[in-house]
Amino acid sequence: MFELFAYGDAGWGDEILRGLAITVQLAIVTLPVGLFLGFLAAFASLSGLRPLRALGFGYTTIMRGLPEILTLFVVYNGAGLLLNKGLRWWNPDAPPSDFSPFAAGVIALGMVFGAFAGEVLRGAFQSLDKGQVEAGRAIGMTDRQIFRRIQLPQLWRFALPGLGNLWINMLKDTALVSVIALDDLMRMTKVAVGVTKQPFTFYLLACLIYWAMCVLSEVVLAQMERRANRGIRRAV
Amino acid sequence: MTKPETILKAEDIHKSFGRLEVLKGISLEARNHDVISILGSSGSGKSTFLRCLNFLEIPTSGKVTVHGEEILVKNGKPQNVRHIEDIRSRLGMVFQQFNLWTHRTALENVMEGPVQVKREPNAEARDKAEALLKRVGLEDRMHMYPSQLSGGQQQRVAIARALAMEPDAILFDEPTSALDPELVGEVLKVMQSLAAEGRTMIVVTHEMGFAREVSSEVVFLHEGRIAEQGPPDEMFANPKTEVFERFISKVK
Amino acid sequence: MNPIEILFEYWPRLLDGALMTLKLTFLGALIAGLVSPGLALIRVQAAPMAQAPLRLYVSFIRGTPILAQLFLIFYGSGQFRPALEEWGLWTFFRDPFNCALLAFALNSTAYQTEILRGGIMSVPQREIEAAKAIGMSRSKILRRVVFPHAYRIAWPALGNEVILLMKASALASVVTVFDVMGRTRQIFSRTFDFSVYLWAALIYLCITAAFVLLWRQAERRLSRHIHAPGTPRASAQPFKESQA
Repeated sequence: MFELFAYGDAGWGDEILRGLAITVQLAIVTLPVGLFLGFLAAFASLSGLRPLRALGFGYTTIMRGLPEILTLFVVYNGAGLLLNKGLRWWNPDAPPSDFSPFAAGVIALGMVFGAFAGEVLRGAFQSLDKGQVEAGRAIGMTDRQIFRRIQLPQLWRFALPGLGNLWINMLKDTALVSVIALDDLMRMTKVAVGVTKQPFTFYLLACLIYWAMCVLSEVVLAQMERRANRGIRRAV
Repeated sequence: MTKPETILKAEDIHKSFGRLEVLKGISLEARNHDVISILGSSGSGKSTFLRCLNFLEIPTSGKVTVHGEEILVKNGKPQNVRHIEDIRSRLGMVFQQFNLWTHRTALENVMEGPVQVKREPNAEARDKAEALLKRVGLEDRMHMYPSQLSGGQQQRVAIARALAMEPDAILFDEPTSALDPELVGEVLKVMQSLAAEGRTMIVVTHEMGFAREVSSEVVFLHEGRIAEQGPPDEMFANPKTEVFERFISKVK
Repeated sequence: MNPIEILFEYWPRLLDGALMTLKLTFLGALIAGLVSPGLALIRVQAAPMAQAPLRLYVSFIRGTPILAQLFLIFYGSGQFRPALEEWGLWTFFRDPFNCALLAFALNSTAYQTEILRGGIMSVPQREIEAAKAIGMSRSKILRRVVFPHAYRIAWPALGNEVILLMKASALASVVTVFDVMGRTRQIFSRTFDFSVYLWAALIYLCITAAFVLLWRQAERRLSRHIHAPGTPRASAQPFKESQA
């Protein structure tokens, strides 16, 4: 049965690998988008301005309460409608066009990641030791210097475990884009199933690939956490 | 040393938290080489007063002058905010909980201020930091992180960090209160040697021995006011107020 | 059509979908809630060799997308149709609702087991010793001391898990179960009216909010003897990321 997974015309190895490449690409492109949104959300909810705080709270609360697949459809269909409206306004005879599923995936997954990351970063920020900030003030550092030299380097250490979890969740959530016809690992598996009529074999294979990616991520994250905590918690 | 110059002057400092008035008008002057101990029971406002001097706490009203640079505060608003960072860099501060930056080694903690705030070249700051850590007896601990040091060692790093800014005066906020009893001595010894060097120091403390032996002036705060003030020998020998008498009999 | 008209015309379907979402979530959480205490005990007490399959199961569930788990069960079962027919199980696997429920229950069981394990491990040894000292039997100690304590600790995290399960239940729409998401996609494909998605979002948020309130009420009861009225307490936080 191994010829099923062979590379080339005979087997499905190359198709599935191509799907895997899309999945990995999607996750890697989404990460910076999500982190950026997460920082924005964290700053907003820590800001001194009430409307900004409300905005941060609203974004993180609503996004975290919605099913990811709903967010994906809202972005995909909503952006699609807007796109077509724009196109028709530009050129009334334009044929209807589809919004790129990849872009929709990046935006939707990034928004979800950003909402959770906002909470992680806010928590990390608040768990920083206030005394160290005061010590910075006491020697005359500016707020900016305090942020850059004292808070940011330690923020990373506090936020890393939470962000690591979010990365793994996001990696798994990429499977959702198969539903909006992006040719990721999940969808290529479905294609293979359609031809070979061996659904269990192929979905199990897909599961094993996701599993391997998550376990690998966990190993790398544990390594990163060890590095981030270097010198901090050993001894005494 | 004929005419000691004034380093720091605080005039009529008031501070309220909501309705609670913690400081009810305190004035204090520190001249060159002064070592002023501020005593008082908990809740007397002594730490708050100290923190008002470098604006970690913004007073409700009053005036602070450091080396001719003055900041006037009215209604909780400092008149010239820009000078605050300036004043802070001229006053060193040593905290009760040390407040070392845990992600930096002892040496990096000491170098941070000179390099980042005073823009001194790295090599120069490093030489100075090494000398200062040697000065507080930590030459063999320079590359350790705070978590690898004992409380007493951390506090000595914090003192070196304050010294690295070459401050006009150093504020100590209960520097030995968070230490295990057997570690208090090593920190007091460093402080004593700083006093002997002629450093200007303002110390909020519970260490009666230090207040008595080392300081040139003692200020006793009670309920947000200065209840008694003077040279330690005189004050401890014959307390003028009942509250101070009770205070020293209790801590003894 | 404006958003109000959409709601006016399609509310029976959306309500129907909401009931389906609640049914899936409730049954899934319940089944997992019945199975997980036993598994959690195994995770705490059994020999490492006996734990190995359980750890593998939890790791697999955590490391794979729920969508993939759902497909593995729903479509994957087709590969074994003759055998399943022979055992009389095919009618079960043919039904998308059953498969979705099975997938969600299996998924939630893994997470709930880990949460409960943490709760059990946090029971102070001295409380167990005190129970032994007055001659309680093993099962009685579990019932009277260990589990009450473990549930109190684990309660907020279990609440978060149920909310995550509720969100995950939207995936059932992909295998043609008509929950909120399924109804919404159906209505959208007919009307191309975007506002139906916003109504769906509102329904999900309302379910979550109502659930959080209920869960906190229950928590207050569970820990009545710890907190005097009016003291601040740690409580179920909506949507807090606690797993994976």
